[in-house]
Amino acid sequence: MPLLKLENVTKCFGGLIAVNQVSLEFETGQLIGIVGPNGSGKTTLFNVISGVYFPEKGRVIFEGLDITTFPPYKRAPLGIGRTFQIPRPFASATVRENVAVGAMFGTLSGKVSVEESLEIADQTIERVHLQEHRDKPAGTLTPVEKKLTEIARALAMKPKLLLMDEAMAGMHPNDIDQMVDFLKQIAIDEKIAIVAMVEHIMRAVIGMAEKVIVLNQGSKIVDAPTKEALEDPKVVEVYLGHPLEE
Amino acid sequence: MKKEITKYYPLIPVFTAYLFLFLIGKNISGMWQLVAMLLFYCALGQAFNIFLGMTGYVDFGYVAFMGVGTYGMALAITKLAHIEGLGIGIIIIGFILALLMSTLLSMAVGAVALRLRGAYFAIATIGVNEGFRFLIEGARIWNGSEGLIFTAQLNEILGRNAASALMTFWADIIVLIIAALAAFVTLFYMRSKIGYALTALREDEDAAKVMGINVTKYKIIAFITSACFAGLVGATSWALKTPYVFPPEVFEIHYTIEAIIIVLLGGAGTLLGPVAGGLIYGISKYYLSIFLPGFQLLIFAPIIIIIIVLFPEGVVGMLKYRLKDSALARFII
Repeated sequence: MPLLKLENVTKCFGGLIAVNQVSLEFETGQLIGIVGPNGSGKTTLFNVISGVYFPEKGRVIFEGLDITTFPPYKRAPLGIGRTFQIPRPFASATVRENVAVGAMFGTLSGKVSVEESLEIADQTIERVHLQEHRDKPAGTLTPVEKKLTEIARALAMKPKLLLMDEAMAGMHPNDIDQMVDFLKQIAIDEKIAIVAMVEHIMRAVIGMAEKVIVLNQGSKIVDAPTKEALEDPKVVEVYLGHPLEE
Repeated sequence: MKKEITKYYPLIPVFTAYLFLFLIGKNISGMWQLVAMLLFYCALGQAFNIFLGMTGYVDFGYVAFMGVGTYGMALAITKLAHIEGLGIGIIIIGFILALLMSTLLSMAVGAVALRLRGAYFAIATIGVNEGFRFLIEGARIWNGSEGLIFTAQLNEILGRNAASALMTFWADIIVLIIAALAAFVTLFYMRSKIGYALTALREDEDAAKVMGINVTKYKIIAFITSACFAGLVGATSWALKTPYVFPPEVFEIHYTIEAIIIVLLGGAGTLLGPVAGGLIYGISKYYLSIFLPGFQLLIFAPIIIIIIVLFPEGVVGMLKYRLKDSALARFII
């Protein structure tokens, strides 16, 4: 049974079809890259999976459960975590409190106490190496630290699927490589399927993803192992412009 | 066990402030009137802070909850006064009715208005207060615009001396108890999951949702709690202290504005903020109206603007920031 399955999902905004008849499957522990040019429907697809939007047509199935019309706060505890394109930590709360929120509300039992959540937060903060910023308000951090706070907050939810919207945008190439290694490691350690959405940082996609889904104008044009997908003539034509150099 | 106690340290400055107010009012003659006013503003600020401060939503119809609370107490006294032997029990029934009515109204308003966000919520709530006042006046509910006057009933039930003591002293003590209770509940919320959920949704409602927080549920919890305290303050300050109620007086948007000023002045979402805000606002208002009668608003407006510009996080917000590495930090939140 796939972890997440989309069946012919269509999402429109008025006359604009943002996501058109998309079907796909993610497996447990898989590292997936979603790429596509600006406006190709990547963020909308994420919003349909995390429940911010409900699709007009099609179904969203998570671990065999039809969650098409579940609100976001019911999906998160099932194991769907997400980070945002522009990091959105809770600015006035400290890093520790931010991460504790993930542990407190993002787990299925819903019975994690405040103290337990803070303990989980401390452990998770160590994993992303933010110990020294633990008690700072998240609003005062640098963009990369904010991104790490968001990732820690999502990890504290113990997700089975982690959706990362533009995970590497605006990062230094060295940081990208570190981040890729880190994400690979947690995918293995915690059996989390990580879906990273990337607009143009091919370095991250090639380094991380096992398979790549390419979207264009709301439709899925390719869904294949990374190398194969990026060499596909359609992808070269609509997205890359010229074949990738080795 | 020690940790359990340190959790409640931030209540110390709040309760100390109340104790000082009480002692000043009790021991310095002529001060009780000012103290009573300050207690009212502190209680109002603390009640409103649970919603405004913790969720970041501005409710312009807040005074409506105080209004229905006042009516709850007024109705209990006027309708039940003929029953023999209720005595002081009638006031307890009044409080229960005030709680019930403010809860019901806040549930009705919350279910509709809390679906809106930001400015839309604020505008919708202005309508609630005005609408409710016109409903009472127009449909002649609870005696319509003639209001309810129950001085006689209160004298009859409690006796003239006890009723007079209630109006001039005990009502203010009840306000103090309500304010202290509101502080306790605020701290309890802050330290529990409710507080974390409210902070999250105040900062970023969409992000809070995808973190698994049922934002509507927590907004409604804060809204109803805040409304209940407003109902109690109304029932005490506006019904027991002055035993009459007229719709235009209790559904007066002016009080909502005062509550907003107090919370923002002191520091929205902080525990000590509404107390500091209530004291600053009350004291300035009182003395400005003595020394510069008629000009108090003209002078007060720029003072508020200056404070808000200098300390956008409120006075306590600023203090909290300045003291964050000192030993005092754990007392101020």
